Amino acid sequence: MSSSIQQRRRRLGTTVALVVSCWLVAVTLLHGGLNLGWFAEKQAARKYRLGFLPVTCHLTCPVTDFITREKTGEGLFHPMRFNGWPELKEAYLSGVTPATFILAPMAIALREQGVPIKIVYLGHRDGSAVMVHKDSGITTMEGLRGKKVAVPNRFSNQRLLIFRALRDAGMSVEDIQLVEMPPPDMPAALYAKAVDAISSGEPFMGQSELDGYGKVLWLTKDVWPDFISCVLAVHEDMIENDRPAVQRLVDGIAKSGKWLDTSMDNRMDAAQFVAKHYYNQDPRLLSFVLSKPPDRVKYTNLTLRKKDFEEIEELGRLSGILAGTAKFEDYTDASFVLDEAGIVPHQYPLKNP
Amino acid sequence: MSSSRGISRVTEKTWLRLALPLATAALFLATWHFSVLWSGSDLFPTPLAVGRGIVELARQGLLFKYIVASLYRVSVGFCLAAVVGIPLGLVLGWFRPAYAAINPLIQVLRPISPIAWIPVAILWFGVDDTSPIFLIFLASVFPITVAASAAVQNMQVVYVRAARNFGLKGLLLFRKVILPAALPQIITGIRITLGVAWLVVVAAEMIAVNSGLGYLIIDARNAGKRYDLVVAGMVMIGLIGLLLDLVVRQLEKFDEVRWGYGQR
Repeated sequence: MSSSIQQRRRRLGTTVALVVSCWLVAVTLLHGGLNLGWFAEKQAARKYRLGFLPVTCHLTCPVTDFITREKTGEGLFHPMRFNGWPELKEAYLSGVTPATFILAPMAIALREQGVPIKIVYLGHRDGSAVMVHKDSGITTMEGLRGKKVAVPNRFSNQRLLIFRALRDAGMSVEDIQLVEMPPPDMPAALYAKAVDAISSGEPFMGQSELDGYGKVLWLTKDVWPDFISCVLAVHEDMIENDRPAVQRLVDGIAKSGKWLDTSMDNRMDAAQFVAKHYYNQDPRLLSFVLSKPPDRVKYTNLTLRKKDFEEIEELGRLSGILAGTAKFEDYTDASFVLDEAGIVPHQYPLKNP
Repeated sequence: MSSSRGISRVTEKTWLRLALPLATAALFLATWHFSVLWSGSDLFPTPLAVGRGIVELARQGLLFKYIVASLYRVSVGFCLAAVVGIPLGLVLGWFRPAYAAINPLIQVLRPISPIAWIPVAILWFGVDDTSPIFLIFLASVFPITVAASAAVQNMQVVYVRAARNFGLKGLLLFRKVILPAALPQIITGIRITLGVAWLVVVAAEMIAVNSGLGYLIIDARNAGKRYDLVVAGMVMIGLIGLLLDLVVRQLEKFDEVRWGYGQR
């Protein structure tokens, strides 16, 4: 009797152990094969990882990767897509991504806190908007008095943009309710009238316009010409230890910027391959924000200029996110592109495939 | 006569057991469908749109990949939690000083949401599979430890006394009496904890992984107006949660476990 109980108990133990270990092996192999590419051919060398988000401010990242892959069969770097600013920043801080696209004020603030970060190039110019609901009847900044306005992050340039527009209209931040919200959630919030105005990088503003309920209050180019929101930044160690790699990266990004602004055909081409291979968005959306109007977002004139950053510093101090302890020379290294006129755009599509 | 009535009663029972939940599901789907239609929302999807979204994902081969990725992370994280949590809980349940020393720490760590651990996970483990597995482990290890220690503490004293009268001591007492006596409650703990582990998969996959059902939801939010895929991700997580629960419930059918549950 007692031996049969023991046998049965042993059977319970063996069955569970067997089932659990078979399951673990099976699910690990499946995951390795399907998602991690264990059984695919190994990639040649380990590449530097470059962090980015699926927004038009970072468009030169996937464009550079795609075009260099098409031309040479392998990318310059390993693009790593994030879904939010905090994770992107933390990956940089922990050294996972030695290079990253990042909000300009966030990079400056990190420098102020002693993080070895250097801005080496701009990501874009313009490419932001403030949207209101089409039924709201709001047509001026004055109309936003007492209303709820969403911005992506306290370190976003969109927040500084609102500060500047308020200042220009003779108002202050006390006159509106500022809330922080992840940009992907903004169109739905505006649709549901949970907020009265939204402001972030594209394509989320364009989406509310394309879907018919959002109306442009103003585009950045109308309020703050040559607005900068995101920059390309790298770790100081990378500049010190592998300067040629940083140079290759900046060159690739600069050529992509030039290429995007060479013709509308290139932009439409980029909308297709970026939407499909990198952003997983509807290509119609990217085509829309890259063309309506064509100067909604620009990818040329991306060298670092002290004057632009001093304006960001000033607004940063005004809005309370920057202390003003880091100077332009501390947080930038403008030596990688000295003369923008010398940049030759990528030759793509390839002439003789 | 009596036997045929018996059979019909059994089939009636099985029929009801299937029909009742299906009727609830149908009612739920109909309410959902008509609420969307009546509210006139063109952002929130109807059940049909969600169904089409699931089919689209399946056709692209993404659905299977994502399910595998999430199951992998939950399986590894949960098994690690069980391997650590069950022995720890048994020890804590048996040795009072150990319980007094360690339980407060567990109670402090237990209510911290895995979302709060995301920055720590990225700083410690980077952005590959280790971080989500760590978050799932954290979410599961405390409930499973608490369940195992409570199982030992709530055990009837008479078992231990009887065993001691027969001269059982030390490891033998533990293996022959304490573990079997605590097993039913531990299995219940495992069942609840597996639900918790699966619950945190969305939060865990907010980190820069590029696969998984949680990632599907976050990715669909980035993709513009694809709320059908957001809800598709939610539906798949729910359905797989149901399947996992059914699988773990099989453990309760073993005699070694079943004796511990009240018969109703």
